[in-house]
Amino acid sequence: MIFVKGVGMTRFGTQEDASYHMAYESVMEALNDADMTMNEIDAVFVSSIEVTSNGERQKHSASMLSSLFQKKMPILALPAGCAGGGTALWTAVKLQRSSNYDNVLAVAFDKIVANISKKVTDEILMGGERIYEQTEGLNFPAQNALVAQQYMMKHGATTDDFALVAYKNHKNAYFNPKARFYHKKVSLEEIKSSPVVASPLRLFDCSISCNGSAALIISKEKGSVEIAGSGESNDYLGPFEREDMTSLEATRMAAANAYKEAGICPEDIDIAEVHDAFTPLEII
Amino acid sequence: MIIRWICDRCNKKWIYPVEKCVYCKGEITKQKGSKLKVVGITKVSIQSPMHPIIPYNIILLQDEFGNRMPKKTMKDYKLGDNYIQEKAKTEDAVSIAKVKYDVYEAIKETLGLLKFELSPNDKVLVKPSIIAAAYPYQAVNTDPEFFDALLKVLFELGVKKEDVVVAEQALIGSDVNDAAAKAGILEVCKKNGVNFFDISKGPFEEIESEGFSFKIFKEALNRKVINAPIMKTNFQLGFSGALENLARFADEKTQREMYYVGFDKIIAKLAKVIPNVFTIADATKAMQGQGPLASGEPAFLNLVLAGKNFAAVDAIFCEVTLLEIPPYIDAYGKCLDSKHIEVVGNEVDALKYSILPAVPHDTPHPDIKVIDGKSCPACLNLLYNLTSKLIGLRGEELNLIIGSMLTEDMLKGKERLVALGGCAIKKLQSMKFEPMAEIEENIDQFEQLVLLKKLLITQGRPKITPIDKVKSKMTKLLSKVIR
Repeated sequence: MIFVKGVGMTRFGTQEDASYHMAYESVMEALNDADMTMNEIDAVFVSSIEVTSNGERQKHSASMLSSLFQKKMPILALPAGCAGGGTALWTAVKLQRSSNYDNVLAVAFDKIVANISKKVTDEILMGGERIYEQTEGLNFPAQNALVAQQYMMKHGATTDDFALVAYKNHKNAYFNPKARFYHKKVSLEEIKSSPVVASPLRLFDCSISCNGSAALIISKEKGSVEIAGSGESNDYLGPFEREDMTSLEATRMAAANAYKEAGICPEDIDIAEVHDAFTPLEII
Repeated sequence: MIIRWICDRCNKKWIYPVEKCVYCKGEITKQKGSKLKVVGITKVSIQSPMHPIIPYNIILLQDEFGNRMPKKTMKDYKLGDNYIQEKAKTEDAVSIAKVKYDVYEAIKETLGLLKFELSPNDKVLVKPSIIAAAYPYQAVNTDPEFFDALLKVLFELGVKKEDVVVAEQALIGSDVNDAAAKAGILEVCKKNGVNFFDISKGPFEEIESEGFSFKIFKEALNRKVINAPIMKTNFQLGFSGALENLARFADEKTQREMYYVGFDKIIAKLAKVIPNVFTIADATKAMQGQGPLASGEPAFLNLVLAGKNFAAVDAIFCEVTLLEIPPYIDAYGKCLDSKHIEVVGNEVDALKYSILPAVPHDTPHPDIKVIDGKSCPACLNLLYNLTSKLIGLRGEELNLIIGSMLTEDMLKGKERLVALGGCAIKKLQSMKFEPMAEIEENIDQFEQLVLLKKLLITQGRPKITPIDKVKSKMTKLLSKVIR
């Protein structure tokens, strides 16, 4: 059995901290939470998109963490865009189950907000398919706008439905001291009247870029939170080449694997925390 | 057109041109959808370096097989509209295609939108740009993959292999066979069974045009010319592409004279004497920055441009990449206003993307600047070769003067001036201007290099000594032995 022993997280915002320091901060918090030191960590999985526009010019994040932790151990980098943290954790769980490692650290960090907006847009655009998407200007808001439009036509969803997702998420952020929108009230009217970024998506349908880091230590030693199941899957790079643009096949498969591993079904779930950077995708 | 690669056996589908199915190892067939409908639209209001003009639209197109692709456009479409690529209506139209993993299809697409025909009896001369020995990744010469696809398209249009020749000459002072070998073009010629000719060996025919006498490669006058330049920034001309590529149909003497009299005026006259030219330009990996030699860097544009009016092709490329249209292109006279050139295949505004322009006075060496009096390719080549060999050796700033179109204003306020090549030396003498040193173009290159090195690192007026001459001879001998 695998347990969560410690968690740590920086605040998410526009802070100027260097990437190494954000990783340091979240890992230190996780170590303190687990009542451990780096001596007890056997392996690390790290995820970062290794941004170049932030001026750090620091690829090879695994070795960077070796310097930061002053430890020679298996440290593997798993860049996976928005799914980076989840991918690092899933891999950590799989490795721990099949090895004699007692404690494994999963950490993710990114410093994206450190340049003018068009440079940041370009940096993130590099996550899209290079020939069909990047050259056609299909940045991520545009990509998800096309997906949203297909979903609206197929299922009758409206932009008001998307606005409710943003409203709910901003209400949560209001109470979260680590969120960029902590104690910032956003009304439904503000969301609905915000500027159109890529029709039909408005500004508040798109998550704001942030800098930050999160870390988690998993252990074979019993703790209060057990990871009962986890799943991972990928889908084709461009939504346009997927059979059905309005279904997240990879998410379905990953969830099915997690349920199977845990031996439970969706009805057994009391609370779900889902992530995507765009409101329609939460509905999908 | 939407292209997918499909396994004949298990029907798996790829956007990538894979050779075999990774599941059943079955053969792959290209599926081409041409009946396109608009099934999605978004208007984008966020700027990025590759997409500086906002707002723009992205339409989602779907073909008769259910395959989809996004397409950027400045036009407004409605859901359900048919997407039709209009064919060119005018002679001077320029066609632009984006390479979607398949340069062969992109070339075919550009030609399909223009009035371009070849018959089985046509004798064809294909002229790539091969100016110096450089690897394909350096974007100095026409890309071999593009060139291979171009030959394939020409053969498919009915031209017989034995009726096709490939011809080019490198910048004066470089060997085109060495250059073509390194550029991968010789290998493409060999693979396709076509002969490669060194234009500098002739034969040439003397032709008069508008008061200027040219010696032009005879084959260029008797064959249909397929002009296949690579599109590049050029620190001397601003930009070199379709029109500039034709200059190397002239013999060495004519080329030198063209620059001596004024390239801006003469290139237009030369272009007019080559009777049958059609341009298919390589902008798949164009060049930006300090072109046209290896100080420039690749610009990954993934474009193919084509047209009968080579100056129009150049003008549209400059428009797309936000480069200034050089005066020599305007002087050709057939495309004074690029706004009025018909463009098919893709919209110029939807393609606009700024590439790095060339800086006129920079050389590969940070301490050596150039004052360019419109030198001919010989001195341009020499300048590049000498200055690039001294990289890493710091010294006091030198100003190399090349070419003969020099004025006192160009020299005003400049110090440590060195004349490079006969044209600059003669011109400065006629201006009664004494430079710090003169480097003749016809002396041994080792001696030229030694002199330039001395000039860079010393304060006085160094000269070539007898010891330098002996060293030069020994170096030459040694390199012969090594070879």
